[in-house]
Amino acid sequence: MLRFALTRIVMAIPTLLIVAVSVFVLIRLIPGDPASLMLGDLATPASIADLRARLGLDQSLFTQFGIWFGNLLKGDLGISINSQEPILPLILSRFWVSAQIVLVAVFFASLVAVPAGVIAAWRQDSILDLGLVGAATLLLSIPTFWLGLLLLLFFGLKLEWLPVVGYVSIGDDPWRGIIYLIMPILTLFLHEIGVILRMARASTLEVLRLDYITHARAKGLSEGAVLWRHAFKNAFGPTWTLIGLVLGNLLGGIAVVETVFTIPGLGRLLVDSIFARDYPVIQGCMLFVAFCYVLVNLVIDLCYPIFDPRVTAQ
Amino acid sequence: MNRLSAHLIGAAVAATLAGPALAQSLTVSVAADVRSINPGVNRDDNTDDFVLQMVEGLVGYDEGGTPGPLLSEKIDVSSDGKTYTFALRKGVKFHNGAPLTSADVVWSWNRYMDPKTDWRCLTEFDGRNGLKVEAVEAPDANTVTMKLNAPNALFLDALARTDCAMAGVIHKDSVKADGSFDKPIGTGPFKMGEWKRNEYFTMSAFEGYASPKTDGKIDGYLGSKRPLVKDVKFLIVRDPATVKAGLLSGAIDMGGILNSDVDELRKAANLTVQVGTNAVRHGLLIQTRDPLLKNVKLRQAIAAAIDYDELVSAASADLAKPNNSPLYPGSSYFGDVEKQGFKYDPAQAKKLLQESGYKGETITILANKRPTAVSFPQAVVAQSMLQAIGIKVEIEVLEWATQLDRYNKGNYQMQAFSFSSRFDPALGFEQFSGNKDKQPRKIWEEPQALALIDKAMVVADKAERQKLFDELHKRYIAEVPMIFTFNGVEPYAMSKRVKGFEAWQSKQRMWEVTLAN
Repeated sequence: MLRFALTRIVMAIPTLLIVAVSVFVLIRLIPGDPASLMLGDLATPASIADLRARLGLDQSLFTQFGIWFGNLLKGDLGISINSQEPILPLILSRFWVSAQIVLVAVFFASLVAVPAGVIAAWRQDSILDLGLVGAATLLLSIPTFWLGLLLLLFFGLKLEWLPVVGYVSIGDDPWRGIIYLIMPILTLFLHEIGVILRMARASTLEVLRLDYITHARAKGLSEGAVLWRHAFKNAFGPTWTLIGLVLGNLLGGIAVVETVFTIPGLGRLLVDSIFARDYPVIQGCMLFVAFCYVLVNLVIDLCYPIFDPRVTAQ
Repeated sequence: MNRLSAHLIGAAVAATLAGPALAQSLTVSVAADVRSINPGVNRDDNTDDFVLQMVEGLVGYDEGGTPGPLLSEKIDVSSDGKTYTFALRKGVKFHNGAPLTSADVVWSWNRYMDPKTDWRCLTEFDGRNGLKVEAVEAPDANTVTMKLNAPNALFLDALARTDCAMAGVIHKDSVKADGSFDKPIGTGPFKMGEWKRNEYFTMSAFEGYASPKTDGKIDGYLGSKRPLVKDVKFLIVRDPATVKAGLLSGAIDMGGILNSDVDELRKAANLTVQVGTNAVRHGLLIQTRDPLLKNVKLRQAIAAAIDYDELVSAASADLAKPNNSPLYPGSSYFGDVEKQGFKYDPAQAKKLLQESGYKGETITILANKRPTAVSFPQAVVAQSMLQAIGIKVEIEVLEWATQLDRYNKGNYQMQAFSFSSRFDPALGFEQFSGNKDKQPRKIWEEPQALALIDKAMVVADKAERQKLFDELHKRYIAEVPMIFTFNGVEPYAMSKRVKGFEAWQSKQRMWEVTLAN
């Protein structure tokens, strides 16, 4: 197990290197200059040149990359051009906000969607199956920004149960913090139910058609035992992988939900930085997101043997 | 869970959120966080707006955009136009209780002029752009003198500029022992509160504030500036739909809204809507060095093909009025000449098009789709009007940073663009005029026009300047280097409990604002 984990971590290094180089190059290929954006249409050539020099943007790309990469190896992601904040603490504080929403939403979505998907497969083509698949498709089809706004209008404006705007950190005030997170979590929860339920149903259907399930039934096992002891364990693998991918995606990309609910998360930071051409923050965020992606999938892979012992043997 | 218990939980949650009632606390939504709290350093309009409620300069703009005394009560100019003597207003105190003295002004100025401060406007006063403040002295505790390298009609205007943070005077305690900036300890009506990055920033009333006037009449950054609410929280809400929901729910007391939301929010029982105007100038830029558009007849045809009433109505959701002048209507120089804009005349446009020798070439208009910008709607309406007289037009939609890059490089045929506010007409003309070889972003480079602008920078006599601006306006209308269409509008929605707010130049001035309980 340890060797497997170490191998995967070592394999992640080239991935992160490729991400570092490609993000550095690609962001500079798109037109737009941070100094011009900061100074706007009132800028003079002298003031733009001054600011570019102060930001180190007047140096060659190779030199800029060398400085950035050298600092990166020392664990220093640099300083934000816009806010002048150190980037690593900035990313970590924003990541923590996004992670609370994503982890809770995906956890509860999995808790609901996986059993629902298994049941839908078990009762394939029944009204229950059609209802669950229909609901999943509907949830999947609604864009998160619209779903968020609907929840906001219903729970915030109509019922006046939940706050419409603002954010309170759980660290500052746990109870109020939770209240402010309910709607963003609910939005993601509903959306991800659709994604996970469909996968759980499809993989369970595949397993239910296999011979060993017929054999288990022929032995006279109850439907519950067949479904949960034999079918579920085998069917859960692909769903588990999907949950890993969903987590990896969401940890760096819930900018829309964060915008609607005024949540200061990582996705919003990344989008704002792209619009402002805040190169160091974009590079830091992308690298961090890639790292999270690799880490989450590593954890997912390490958990595989729990469901399928053959993975360890391989 | 039955319906009753659901309501009970909801009520409990709502009660928890309400917390203790804070009288006179105002919550205002803003679309972006401030960049810093260091005046004139790492700033944008939003940052200036916040900082200038806490710090004040020797001079500030009045409602019409003319600089007038703020921390000073009297300004004398020497006969050679090179020495300005500011007599400080008496009774002014900093937020830490210390009285304002001329030594504070000199210290503050020297700090701005130190390159280590990174003041945005250093180049405006160190001679690199012509104007140089050669000496700043404090002959006595209440007098400050500033000596210039040459007479300059725009010196006070430059001092009052909001993007320069008005060269706001701050106390020495604003800076830590190691020389780094701590927080603004100014003389403004509000004191710095709490800044939680990307969430909110707050300020509280400065009880020791000495308002320039106390008659309740707001006048730009001058006039009556009493802080009448206990504190103000600027909440960062980026999504306009969320702002709307916040206003309707009462979670937000006041905030800027989209033009398109004005009609809907005017119908809300708990809200009032106020539409202010500002000196932002929207328009269509023309690349006068483009092989096609260097033809003045073609540019004149374009100007005559646009129905300005129609275009402005569509682009501003019927909130703005056309203005083709580079001067904004609130300016004291905006007279009868400036009111004469381009004439919408399709027949004349077709005639001019024929005379220009246009052979059906395609013209591309660059635009962006930022929700608060009017770029795209302007481009769409202009496209249809130009096509109506036979000009082929395409629209290329770009992200804002890319469009700004193309503007700076002069790499376009036409653009639907907006220029930020410049109060003095000379600066307003200078903003888009100059030699393209030196600055590719400049649009109008006709030598005689540039000479008139240079002259307007030096001449101080108002009547003389008016003549210069009238002449410039006429030349601009004749040559059509670009087409200004209308000035910015800024709709705000606010709770009916909010009184005394007056929208002005995109600034959310919180002085003289009250909040009824």
